[in-house]
Amino acid sequence: MDEYLRCQDILVSFGGVVACNKLSLTVPRGKIVGLIGPNGAGKTTLFNALTRFQSYDSGNVYYEGRPVDNRKPHHMVHMGMARTFQNINLFRDQTTLQNIMTGAHSLMGDPFSAMYWLPAARRREHEIKERAIEIAEMLSLTTELENEVGNLPYGYQKRVELARALASKPSILLLDEPVAGCNDDETRELKELVFKVNREMGVSILLVEHDMSMVMQVCDYIYVINFGANLAEGIPDEVRANPEVIAAYLGVEDDE
Amino acid sequence: MTEAPAKMTATVVAEFAERREAVNSLKRRYLRQDFIAAAVLLAIALLTPTLPIVKGWMLSQASLVIIYVIAAMGVAILVGYTGLVSVGHGGFLAIGAYTSALLTKHFGVDMIIGMIAAMFVSAFIGALLALVFLRLSGAFMAIGTLGFAFFVGTIVNNVPLFEGRDGILLDDNVILGIKIGDFGFYYTSIISLALITLFVYCVVNSGTGRAFMALRDSENAAMASGVNRLLYRVLAFTISAGITGIAGALNAHIVNYVSAEVYADIWYSVDILMAVVVGGAAILIGPYLGGFFVVMLPFFFEQLADFSFILKGVVLIIVLRFAPAGIGEILLRPFQIARSRKLRAAAGSKVD
Amino acid sequence: MLGQQILSGLATGSLYALTAIAVVLVFRNTRTINLAQGDFAMIGAFLGVYFLKQLGLNYYATILLVVASCTLLGMTVEWLVMRPIAKSDWLTLFTTTIGVYYILHGVAGWIWGRDTKAFPVTFDPTPINIGGALVSQGHLYNIGWALAIGAVLYWFFNYTKQGVAMRAVTDDPEAAYLMGIPVRFIVLLSWGMAGFIAGFVGILIAPIIYVSPEMMDEVLVKAYVAAVFGGLYSIRGAVIGALLIGVAENLAGGYLGSSVKTSTAFVMIVLLLAIRPQGLMGIQKRREI
Repeated sequence: MDEYLRCQDILVSFGGVVACNKLSLTVPRGKIVGLIGPNGAGKTTLFNALTRFQSYDSGNVYYEGRPVDNRKPHHMVHMGMARTFQNINLFRDQTTLQNIMTGAHSLMGDPFSAMYWLPAARRREHEIKERAIEIAEMLSLTTELENEVGNLPYGYQKRVELARALASKPSILLLDEPVAGCNDDETRELKELVFKVNREMGVSILLVEHDMSMVMQVCDYIYVINFGANLAEGIPDEVRANPEVIAAYLGVEDDE
Repeated sequence: MTEAPAKMTATVVAEFAERREAVNSLKRRYLRQDFIAAAVLLAIALLTPTLPIVKGWMLSQASLVIIYVIAAMGVAILVGYTGLVSVGHGGFLAIGAYTSALLTKHFGVDMIIGMIAAMFVSAFIGALLALVFLRLSGAFMAIGTLGFAFFVGTIVNNVPLFEGRDGILLDDNVILGIKIGDFGFYYTSIISLALITLFVYCVVNSGTGRAFMALRDSENAAMASGVNRLLYRVLAFTISAGITGIAGALNAHIVNYVSAEVYADIWYSVDILMAVVVGGAAILIGPYLGGFFVVMLPFFFEQLADFSFILKGVVLIIVLRFAPAGIGEILLRPFQIARSRKLRAAAGSKVD
Repeated sequence: MLGQQILSGLATGSLYALTAIAVVLVFRNTRTINLAQGDFAMIGAFLGVYFLKQLGLNYYATILLVVASCTLLGMTVEWLVMRPIAKSDWLTLFTTTIGVYYILHGVAGWIWGRDTKAFPVTFDPTPINIGGALVSQGHLYNIGWALAIGAVLYWFFNYTKQGVAMRAVTDDPEAAYLMGIPVRFIVLLSWGMAGFIAGFVGILIAPIIYVSPEMMDEVLVKAYVAAVFGGLYSIRGAVIGALLIGVAENLAGGYLGSSVKTSTAFVMIVLLLAIRPQGLMGIQKRREI
């Protein structure tokens, strides 16, 4: 299967407002795809539709070629899709480790074996913990592993959010503005991470972002949407030169 | 046309609500000291009856405390660990009580069988309730469960099988064919509590417990991590109701009597919730402390019955003002702080 | 007779409605589920008995005094108990009202005793003939008062400065604060109004239900169920819900037996929540992404 995630003609409206106007995109296996557009263009809504947090009036979403329109968000995780949130959504009063381990929930098995600590469940729990620590090491989170994430710096929290998504061994990762609010150093770090995850771990990525330089450097392919509809698509160089895209962004800073 | 606001809330009212929605007084982590404290209390409770000064009535009173502690454990699973507030667990108490009462009265079964049956029936109804209230949360859930408790009360009052206000008088409690008195009942209760405490400890520290806490702290993040909201909600309710059902059975047998007079009120529901909040909802010994408080306060002021009500209310208000996470949390806090400090030092962290 | 059932249902329903309004008022301004609301009315009822019996006061003077006392009670609770913890989460707020509930129960039992009493004022039992139907005077009386209070509230919210300010606080407390609206005063006012309404409810309901510390427990639960009809936010929804409950339970009681009566409220809420979790006209928080 060459395409990993595909959506076709997604239509989402709230009351009289059309947030997504027949949006379509494809994330090929192993690629990093960017989704950009001015504020209010419908990116997060589409994101939510793809991860099944949002229902859509019409259109289809295909995962690994199979339609997933009737799935719940947690199904998608079990199928190998993970996501992060725009305004990080961590379990603030839980520790870093707990947050990451929760991310690996899909590896846990059934709740009954787990709660009775049956041997198979015990093994899985051990594996989950190991995996969580592994990921924490990869993302330089080990110093605050047993501390509550709520009080930690923003950049750190962003990495925990990513770690949690990675914990489930996803085949495809959907990142919602992963570098929003980050300074240059943090942005660079996250960029490296995104490359690493994609190149070394083979994870396909769909990225929503405002930071143009990051998008241009990282993505293999970009979709531009505006006013809820597809505006343009192509490899970064094409998109950069596209007059319609430039017009849509007129007056918008390069780096947000 | 612009996209709908990124935060897809219905109105600003809902946004305001969101800020208050997080029940931050509940979130406290597990500590090993917590479990040790519970184990110590249980050990003390197990050995105390061997002391000569202990009389039968004292054990009865202690058994009553244990019953409340068990009931509070049930509520704690739901409220403290899964974040779903129930003001209706009196309903499960009643269900447990009547299930056991009817079985022992009409079929002459062991009290233990009665308790187990009470657990299953209560758990089953808990699961049903979870499905009915699936789309509820927060304040609405609280009100829904309040209605549930009232509903159970009405059933108990009016359906002839339950003998309403006249009540059902039970025979002496029997386990394995032997009549048990105060001592026997006390040990049954303590052992039940010990097993339940162990069970709750296991659940809370497992992946299942993590899933519960994830739902409590952020439903969206939980679902995004793969937690099946429906499954875990139903499971939380089932476990919670089952545990409180056991307490109900014990409650019926401690006085060998059930009647609508006792069970068709909102007192139990409110009392048990209060016990959990005062003691500490997300702490293992929370229910222990809370149960003790709720039962012993009226006991010590038995002479001034109404005054004990007033005192209960005043103490509750004061505790909530200064220790909203419960007394248990205050007691465990020094351990928590020490642990954090130790971990930070060990990891060489620059953040403080 | 059907008309009679409905009317009597409307009468009790209007008292549920008043309580529901009070509950919604406090909730939407402070995010507090006030479990003590019923007891405000209960205290009012006891005070009423005291004023009428012990002090031999005239009925209308009693109403005045009771309503004033209950208003004061509401404001005192807010100022003394709720204000220090105003920033807490809703569970803490709710459980604190449980504390107030216990205190009021204890106080009532202590001062006046726990046994049930009859209210010294009853209505002329001869029914009035309206369009062929025999209507109880008591019912009309209650409905009349409820409508009057409803009208006062309507006027308050739409035509007075404080009322409009209160609506602003409900919609967006931060914006209201920034605009110079004294939010703390508005909150005090909300609780005062809750007490105000409770005073009336106490006096009006006392002849129907015997006066005891537990008298309002059931009413309170029904009032909350009614409030849920309006999503805990809409007064209109709460009133409609309350009237529906009153009528439904009366009809159920009449046709299916009195034992079914009390459970109607719960059955209704289950149906409502299963079908429409947001309540009839209200808004439950939608899932925020």
